[in-house]
Formats: sequence, structure tokens, C-alpha cells
Amino acid sequence: MSNVTLTIDGIEITVSKDKTILEAAKTAGVRIPTLCFHERMNPIGSCRMCVVEVEGFTQPMAACDTRVQDGISVTTNSGQLFRIRQDSLKLILVNHPLDCPVCDKGGECTLQDLVFEFGIDKVEYHAPKQDRLSEYATSLIRYWPDRCIMCLRCVTACREIKAIGAIDIRGDGYGSQVVSVHPDKCESCGECLMVCPTGALTENLSRYKGRPWISERVMTTCTYCGCGCQLELNVLNNSVIGVTTRDDAGVNRGSLCVKGRFGYEFIGSDERLTKPLIRKNGKFQEAGWDEALALVAGQLSKIKKESGPDAIAALSSARCTNEENYLFQKFIRAVIGTNNVDHCARL
Amino acid sequence: MAEAKTMTLNMGPHHPATHGVLRLVLELDGETIVKVTPHIGQLHRGIEKIAESMNYQQIIPLTDRLDYTAASLNNLGYCMTVEKLLGIDVPRRAQYVRVIMGELARIMGHHLWLGSHALDMGAMTVVFYTFRDREMIMNVNEELSGYRLTPSFLRVGGIARDITPDFVKYVREFVKWLPKALDGYHTLLTDNIIWRKRTMGVGTVSARDAVNYGMTGPSLRGSGVAYDVRKALPYSSYDDFDFQVPVGENGDVYDRYLVRMEEFKQSIRIIDQAIENLPDGPVKVDNPLVSNPETDEVMQDISALIRRFKIQCEGPAVPEGEVYHSIEGSKGELGFYLVGDGTSKPYRMKIRSPCFILTSALPKLLVGHMIADVISIIGSIDIVLGEIDR
Repeated sequence: MSNVTLTIDGIEITVSKDKTILEAAKTAGVRIPTLCFHERMNPIGSCRMCVVEVEGFTQPMAACDTRVQDGISVTTNSGQLFRIRQDSLKLILVNHPLDCPVCDKGGECTLQDLVFEFGIDKVEYHAPKQDRLSEYATSLIRYWPDRCIMCLRCVTACREIKAIGAIDIRGDGYGSQVVSVHPDKCESCGECLMVCPTGALTENLSRYKGRPWISERVMTTCTYCGCGCQLELNVLNNSVIGVTTRDDAGVNRGSLCVKGRFGYEFIGSDERLTKPLIRKNGKFQEAGWDEALALVAGQLSKIKKESGPDAIAALSSARCTNEENYLFQKFIRAVIGTNNVDHCARL
Repeated sequence: MAEAKTMTLNMGPHHPATHGVLRLVLELDGETIVKVTPHIGQLHRGIEKIAESMNYQQIIPLTDRLDYTAASLNNLGYCMTVEKLLGIDVPRRAQYVRVIMGELARIMGHHLWLGSHALDMGAMTVVFYTFRDREMIMNVNEELSGYRLTPSFLRVGGIARDITPDFVKYVREFVKWLPKALDGYHTLLTDNIIWRKRTMGVGTVSARDAVNYGMTGPSLRGSGVAYDVRKALPYSSYDDFDFQVPVGENGDVYDRYLVRMEEFKQSIRIIDQAIENLPDGPVKVDNPLVSNPETDEVMQDISALIRRFKIQCEGPAVPEGEVYHSIEGSKGELGFYLVGDGTSKPYRMKIRSPCFILTSALPKLLVGHMIADVISIIGSIDIVLGEIDR
């Protein structure tokens, strides 16, 4: 691919021809404010926050979906651009509800950040209010049409990242709305939830449990399968109140499946087994680790001695690490002496 | 030849006349002091460190607890430092109200100093009168902010809300009353023969020594150096007001007493001018990144709601940089040094505490005097341990 040279805010930079102005600016270390743009998706170009001036063109252009050209000179910040961005934000705010105090996204909301950054102190425009109630998109995801800014990140993520296309826009103009067009296809993976820049899509499990800045975020590996997805457990008062992801972390780069994103309640569940149980006289009774391990070892030795190693079969869990599973099959094959070993992920 | 023997005496930290938890280790030759070692830190709360984990607005109540006898002045010093970092000017009405609150706080501090200074030396009557009048300022604070001792009424970018008609009424009453009360204080002490004998020629410090030790405020001016930050580097509209900087001649306890007594009068003059010429207008800076929007706006406008959310939950947007600003506190030059790292919390806050520096001059003031003079000298430099230990 051939390279082109352009100037961004006086900085000369050479990038490959297929880059957009936004990508070139990032390489040059120039920040262009964005709202609908997401690195893992194709440019959407709905929010007009990334407008830049290109010398020789009268109209400002969206940096996220304009390709670089050789020799162009780009200005990313000027009085006019600042006002255009302010106005774009004001138009987004026209029908935004006064929900920040009760919105789960408050504090990590891109819209809030931009409104504060651009110092918007009043919205002069008014629009007829649309009374749209929040509805459950699925039992795990809630959709708040009022808070939606129609950036279309969720629709794009569902189509491009997950290749499902369960949601799409219906209606047109001011009345358009994101709806579930193929509810049967939706797996509640929460990809839409994760990319939503505002609180239009929220998680049902961790509603009202804590503001983002009071919970601690602990980066860890998902325990469900061997993929090794990276996720952040949101911890408040030593209990997990939610799962978030970071776009730059791990093989999953921010994506999770329904189990990883929503299946964290077992961690603090009362029904969780924390002590070994031994069945005595048909009833489970709590036992110490020494007693339980001695029983298992004794019984395994006994069976192996009486009926041979092939009388024993072993099933391991996908929720163990690779190393643990390796040791487990080694133990079954080398110590017990049978090949009757399997793993729940193969079932 | 008999061996020279000295006795070591611990004074404090629970001595009632060391103005807080100050411990002085005195080495005595008979009753004469030959060596003094101040031990501080018993009141350390780590205010400077705590400030690093709080946003710029949240730190204001911490500053009240420095020199708690004159809380609003600490607010003023801190808020002006942050405003310097932000590069904003507060509206004139807010500046005037800040001056009124600051001068009231100064008087409050001097009231506590005068009452306890005299009480420490056995003149018990004075404290009843000064505390009676101090109560009037407490009422003003309560009317304005709901808090009597630590109003925390100032904000980065102005004051919390506009003043009330009752505030003006109370302040006017106080301005009218204090000169009469002041005459009463003078009757009790100024020409009192015991008072004069206990204070004149005691704890003398020359102008040169005072400057070299970094002493500021009334303790410096008692030695004849007319240095007052309000005059030298006027801030918060102080150049609008007509007032004098009283100075002493001898630099002893009595002169420092006279300087503070005159400062009561000058503060009243400033308050009088400020309350009578109070300009109209807003009391908060018109900057969406710093000032909280009004509640009416918040209830109707989403952008105002978002601003309030961000300012309350994350703090105002303060740029990177380092800045120092000082004001004339009631004890001396109170300075704040702030390093901003572009977040809403300071990277470092350092307080230049006038009392800390005055304490370091204590050995100079005390050596050679009798043990009974310790009380009179500590009282005369008017230290507050809340500010020394921070």
C-alpha cells in the first residue's frame, strides 16, 4: 500500500493511503473528540463530533470516515469547529432525560464527559418530548429509549463484531428508535451494552448497586472456559457487583459471551459449596479436607486394587486452568493407569 | 567549684496554656531557661496527604481545621490558590463577602487569642468579654452557612450562595458594637500594672531577628516591620479599602498585644467599608467547568444537570501546573502551594503555616527568661497547633 503525506495541525505525517484522518491524527498524537466512533467497528459517522477542516473544502468533514489524501492540510481545532461540536452535543441533548442521578452510567458516560469538556452551560433548543418507557431488551439487558442518542454503536457492534444483527433501527427522523428485529437471534451477549456510550443500555443484574468510581476494578481472567477472556470485576465492599471489559485487554478485546458478562452472581451465592461433604447414611454431612481427601484416595486405591484401573473414569472441568487439566489427566493416566479421562467441554 | 546542674522540665503536651498539644522540653538553671526544644506533631492528621485523595472543592472543609480559630481565612487562602491555578477571577461581590468573612474570622481569632492569653496569665475577666463578643461572629457564621466555627462557606470560584438580609443586619450590629467592647478590653489590660509588668520587655525580638526567623503577621509587626500581605500584595479587592497596618516598637509581648488590639479596629474599618459598599452582581464565577449551576437550572436543563454531576462527583476541571499563593492570615502569612496534574485532585498540597514558623522562633524568644514567662510568650505569638501539625 502506498503512503501519503499530510499535515495535521501543523504536524507533517506520512501514513498509508487507506487510513482515515482520525487514524492519522492518532498516529500524529493529535486528539480528535469522538462519540460514535469505536476502534473495533467500521466508522458510523452519526455524531459529527470528529468534524475537521480540510484546506480547500468549504464544509467540515467527519474525520472518522474520511480517507487521507496526499498533501492535504487538516485543522482539528478552531473556533468554528468548537461551535459545531457544541451544537452537535446540544442537539443530542435536546431530548435527553434528566436521568444522571439515577442512571447507572453516570460517571463513566462519554456524553457527560464531552458536555463537560465543551463547557455547555445551556441548551437553547427545544423539542417535543417523547414519552418512551424503558423496556427489557432481554431479561439481562434493559433498553432506555429516552437516553439513547442514536449513535448506532450497538446496532453496528451486533452486526459487525458478533455477526448477529438482532437489533436495528426502526422509524425515521426524530422518532427513530433501536428495536430488536430478531429477538430469537439475540444471545444476551451484552456487546451492545458494552459499546453504548450513554446509559441507554444497562445491565439488569447490577442496577443501582454502585457508582463506577466507588467500585474497584480488578482485572482477571474469565473462569468459564479455556478462551481466557480478560474482564474486570467491579468490586464493592468485597463483593462483585458487575463485570466490565476494556477494549485493549486480552484476546477478547472487550467482547464477552453471556456467561462471562452476566454469570458472576455465583461468586457470592449462599448456595455455593465451600466445604467438602461426605454422604453418610444417605445424607450429606460436612467434613474436613483431610477426611474427605483420605476417603477419596482410599476408595480410588481400593477400586483400582479390586477391579483394575479401567473401572475408574474421570471427568474434568472447563473451569479449571489448562495447567490444572493437564495435571489432572496426567494423574489419571500415570497414577491411576487408565485412559478413561474426559472433559466437560467435549460433551 | 560546684558543678553547674540544669533541670529538664516537660511542659505539655497537656498543659492548658500551650494553646493546644504542644510539648516544650525546657532545660532550666534554677528558674531561668537555658534551652528549649519544641516537640510538635501530636495533632497531626495528615491534611496535606488527605487532600491528595480529594477533589478541589472537597478540600475546603479540611482547610477550616488548620487554624480553626479563624476558619474562613484558611478557606480564602486555599480557594484563591486554586483560582490562581485555574486562572479565574471571582466576581467583585464575592470578593467583598470573602473580605467580610475573612476579617470577621480574623477578629474571631484575635478574640480567642486575647481571652486565652490573659486567662493564661491569670487575668480571668477578659475571656468572658471576648467570648461574649466572639459569639456574635459565630451567629453571623451560623446565619450564613449553618456552621458556627468552621463555616466552609467559600468555594473555588466564589462563595456557596448569596448573602441574606439578616447577614447584613448582624454584621452591621457587630460593627457598631465592637469599638465599645474594645474600649472595655483596653480598660482591663492596657494600663493594668500587673499586665504591663508581665509583658513589657518580655520575649523581645528585634526586627532583624524576626525577619530572619521568618516570623510574619502581628508577631512580626510588633517588632516594627510593617509587612502585611493585604498591603504588600493586595488580593480579593483589599486595595479598595482604607486601613492601616499597625506596628510596634520594642518587639516585646506588650507591643504584640497592642498591635493585635489595633488590628481589631482596622478589621472593623474594613468590614464597615465592605458591607456599606457591597457591589451587586453574581457571587460565583461564570465558568461552566468550575461553578455549580443553580438548582432551578438543574431541574430543567440536562446540560446543567451533567455539569452539576461532574463538578460534584469528580470535581472541577483544573489544569496542570504548580502555583503558590499567600494571604494575610490572623497569625501571619498563610500560603498554599498546589501542584495540579490535570485531574480533579491535587498532586500535592503544601501549606506554609505561619504558626509553624513562629514556633521555630520560640527558643530564640524564650532563652534567658524565667519559666513563668513561657506562658506569656507562647500566648503573644498566638500559635494554633491545628495549623502547625496539620
